[in-house]
Amino acid sequence: MKRDPASALPVKPVDFLILLALSAGEAHGYALMRDILERSAGTVRLEAGNLYRSIRRLLDEGLLAESGRRPAPDADDERRRYYALTPFGRKVVAAEALRLRTLVRFAEAQRLIGPEAS
Amino acid sequence: MNAHGGDRSLLTRAYAAGLGLYPRAFRDRFGDALEAAVIDRVRAARRSAGASGAALAWANVFIDLALTAAAERGSQVASGARRAAMLAGEVIHPETTPGSRNAMNAFLQDLRYALRGILARPGFSAVIIGTLALGIGANTAIFSVVEGVLLRALPYAQPGGIVHISHKGDFGSVSEGEFVDYRSGTRSLSKLAAFSFAEGNLTGDRDPERLRFARVSEDFFSILGATPVHGRTFSADENRRGGPRVTVISHGLWLRQFGGDSSIVGKTIRVNGGAFTVIGVMPRHFDYPDAEVAAWLPMRLNYDTLWSRNNHYLQLVGRLALGATPGVAATELMGMAKPWPQQFPEIYKPNSPPIVTIEPISDAVLGRTKPYLVALLGAVGFVLVIACVNVANLLLARTESRRRELAIRTALGATRGRIVRQVLTESALYAAGGAALGLPLAWWGWRALISLAPATIPRLDLVSLNVPVLLFTLITASLTGFLFGIVPAFRAARGDAGETLKSAGKTSGQGFGLRRARSALVVAEVALAVVTLTGAGLMPRSLARLQSIDLGIKPEHVLSVQVAATPARYHGEAAVAFYDNLLSRVRAVPGVQAAGAIADLPIADDHSDYSILLDGAPMTSVANAPVATPEQVTPGYFETLGIPIVAGRAFTEDDRASADKVVIVNEAMVRKYWPHTNPIGHTVKMLNEKSAWATVVGVARDVRHGGYLADPPPTTYFPYAQSDQTVYNAPSRMSLVVRGTGDASLLTAPVRAIMHDLDPAVPLARVQSMESLVSASVASRRFSTQLLALFALLAVVLAAIGIYGVVSYSVSQRTFEIGLRMALGAESAAVLKLVLREGIALAFVGLAIGGAVAIVIMGFARSLLVQVSIADPVTLAAVALLLTATAGFASYLPARRAMRLEPTRALRSE
Repeated sequence: MKRDPASALPVKPVDFLILLALSAGEAHGYALMRDILERSAGTVRLEAGNLYRSIRRLLDEGLLAESGRRPAPDADDERRRYYALTPFGRKVVAAEALRLRTLVRFAEAQRLIGPEAS
Repeated sequence: MNAHGGDRSLLTRAYAAGLGLYPRAFRDRFGDALEAAVIDRVRAARRSAGASGAALAWANVFIDLALTAAAERGSQVASGARRAAMLAGEVIHPETTPGSRNAMNAFLQDLRYALRGILARPGFSAVIIGTLALGIGANTAIFSVVEGVLLRALPYAQPGGIVHISHKGDFGSVSEGEFVDYRSGTRSLSKLAAFSFAEGNLTGDRDPERLRFARVSEDFFSILGATPVHGRTFSADENRRGGPRVTVISHGLWLRQFGGDSSIVGKTIRVNGGAFTVIGVMPRHFDYPDAEVAAWLPMRLNYDTLWSRNNHYLQLVGRLALGATPGVAATELMGMAKPWPQQFPEIYKPNSPPIVTIEPISDAVLGRTKPYLVALLGAVGFVLVIACVNVANLLLARTESRRRELAIRTALGATRGRIVRQVLTESALYAAGGAALGLPLAWWGWRALISLAPATIPRLDLVSLNVPVLLFTLITASLTGFLFGIVPAFRAARGDAGETLKSAGKTSGQGFGLRRARSALVVAEVALAVVTLTGAGLMPRSLARLQSIDLGIKPEHVLSVQVAATPARYHGEAAVAFYDNLLSRVRAVPGVQAAGAIADLPIADDHSDYSILLDGAPMTSVANAPVATPEQVTPGYFETLGIPIVAGRAFTEDDRASADKVVIVNEAMVRKYWPHTNPIGHTVKMLNEKSAWATVVGVARDVRHGGYLADPPPTTYFPYAQSDQTVYNAPSRMSLVVRGTGDASLLTAPVRAIMHDLDPAVPLARVQSMESLVSASVASRRFSTQLLALFALLAVVLAAIGIYGVVSYSVSQRTFEIGLRMALGAESAAVLKLVLREGIALAFVGLAIGGAVAIVIMGFARSLLVQVSIADPVTLAAVALLLTATAGFASYLPARRAMRLEPTRALRSE
């Protein structure tokens, strides 16, 4: 089933953070929690229950898939699950980023915020 | 990681159980992954922020669990409805379908409603949440300490079967002969071991240290089921006399002196100049016979030539045989002891064999602390009940006052289920708020307790924040909230809305049953506060009375230092010269008024009785011999501690080894052995061939060596310089006492400098002011007194809140009536009286009931209360006064409101 990424927009902020974190490669639950905490400069602390509710939704919507690959077994808790973006998920996160950029440009045009120095 | 394994695995298990809150499909899919993530999360938090970080992480994890489980269930219901609708062929858009998200919406709506309701009455809500938080926090903190110290299993294998055996009456301890007889004869004890204490100086690369040893017989470690963390315990060969000299060291000594280096096993340490090979290191919490023991040595009893049967110096520890009880074993040992008076008439008085007492090891280890902890536990329970009563009370008032609101909602079509659910949501939010605030409070209280607790409380380092207790308190408090939220809710929902709305103008006659229930709750609350307060009032009175007992010494401005110039290092004249030299140099320090030394320092050291002979009388039998406690002192000792010499003279430098042998006795000794005669010139001798007769040259005032509650025993003071001739031998350590003019601790530095100069290899121990030693002897008592005071304060505050709630509510319900009275000419003073009367009447009923209960309950706490009657009139009167004043104040606030009512507005109010 071919789906239009735009149909999944807008993406909830928390979901967006999860998708962004996974765009760098697959990760397990706690790694995601830590990653998001760091990337949000400590402002978004996802607890396990909240994270997995989002993951459940994203799996149901086909944006994520459980990854079969695992690191070396002795270095790992076997109960950990690893997740990766699906191709569709990758398109959605990009589409959301574009959507947000459009919005930010709008805010800049309104002189609400200055354009970021580059 | 495993150091915290106990509570972590418990919490992890609690979390795993909590996963059951999620819908099954979600749990099956993510349960394991959730648990793994949570374990990672907590582990990381512990690594970065320690136990507090982990505790905080767990709190967040559980809150997250509760919230997301509810949300996930909500969305499952929603998606189920959506799927059902799809199957029915409807085309739906999630956002616009009214039925699809009903459950979730309803829940969110309830939540919003409840939040709005809570925020609309900030004062009321703060009181409820505060009450819950106090109850949950204080309860968890205290109970964690009590559980850790008292209830958790001792660090021994199957501790239920381990018993401590001693003699009661004339012989506190057991002699070698008696031990051997017991051991060979017993069937009810599968193993029996003996131990005694010894001291010695550890010397090496580091500062010399005075060590306390336990000398233990074979089977000691196997009875306790203790295995070393490194190395092993004693072999049969090492237990035999003449075997290799070995020692097992404590975890504390291992860390302190050897940096926790496991290669210590096999190395040699030097104690009192002798070499001992370390063969094992015991685990951290192994502290039997007591926490001060730094090392264990094999006892090596010589079974062929046992010491005199009169020499009672052993303690016994045994393991009960299968099916035996302490009572059975005591009866058996007593049967064995029964013929001894006939067999050894020179040792035992006729027909009075030793009385054997056998107690479980837990009693022996925790015995002295137990009553305090139990009292605290009782106070905790009371405060928890008071907190629950308060919450119940407040919620009842709240629901009653919103009957109209609920009736209107019912009239507008809300179902009963919906209304009940709404009230429940509110209760749950209160409980969650109380828990959220109570958790940090519990954690903080627990830290505070541990840091405030006197070091004499055993196993304090084992205390961790107790999660089951936390959950228990949380559930109790929440259930109270639910229960008292739901009863009125049902009533409101069941009631005829029209009736309620119609009768709204006549509120004063409303809810009579409910008001009575609330009054009863307040009475109960006051009664509980009376009990707590009485306990809290009696304890400090008891403490004050206790501390006003004259110890017989003047501890102010006196520094004490234990100095161990051991016989191996200083012998005979050399030791006397060492102390002479030390004392004269200390006396020369500016500000020092007097200095002296004694072998067993009052309050701090143990003192034991020995048999003596008087006035040249020959020995008949040990059984009939008089007894006294021998002390060895230097000149200056009596002066330094302010002990008056009431007759004769004190010791001088002239009472040296070569001089006539002399002794000073105390007044108790005179009363007992030489009543109505002048004791000066009488003679005393220790019951020992070697000992010389000594002539009484002085009488000293009695000193309570064993602390405030110990009567002074007959005591003989021998000059240190003569002690190896008059007592058995010179003591291996002395306690130096130095009297200055100001803060005793200022003397520490000069004394240390002098000691270092004299001989850096002689260890100093227990450098403490005499005052702090005295104060430490009542530390447990003081600690529990302070805690109880805290609880009493809590109880009074909560009771005040309860009274305020009831009276305030009653005033608001009687606005119309009060307005009418005022319109008819009642003066504000009359209104004040009307309102105050209600609050104070409740308090009086509570006082009467509470007073009676308090007297009964204090009967159980008698062992904690010395020198004060359990029905102490001063305390009871103070409690009554305080609570009446509290009730008056709590009623005054609403009364003032009533007084300021404008009659016209009051009459229009409904």
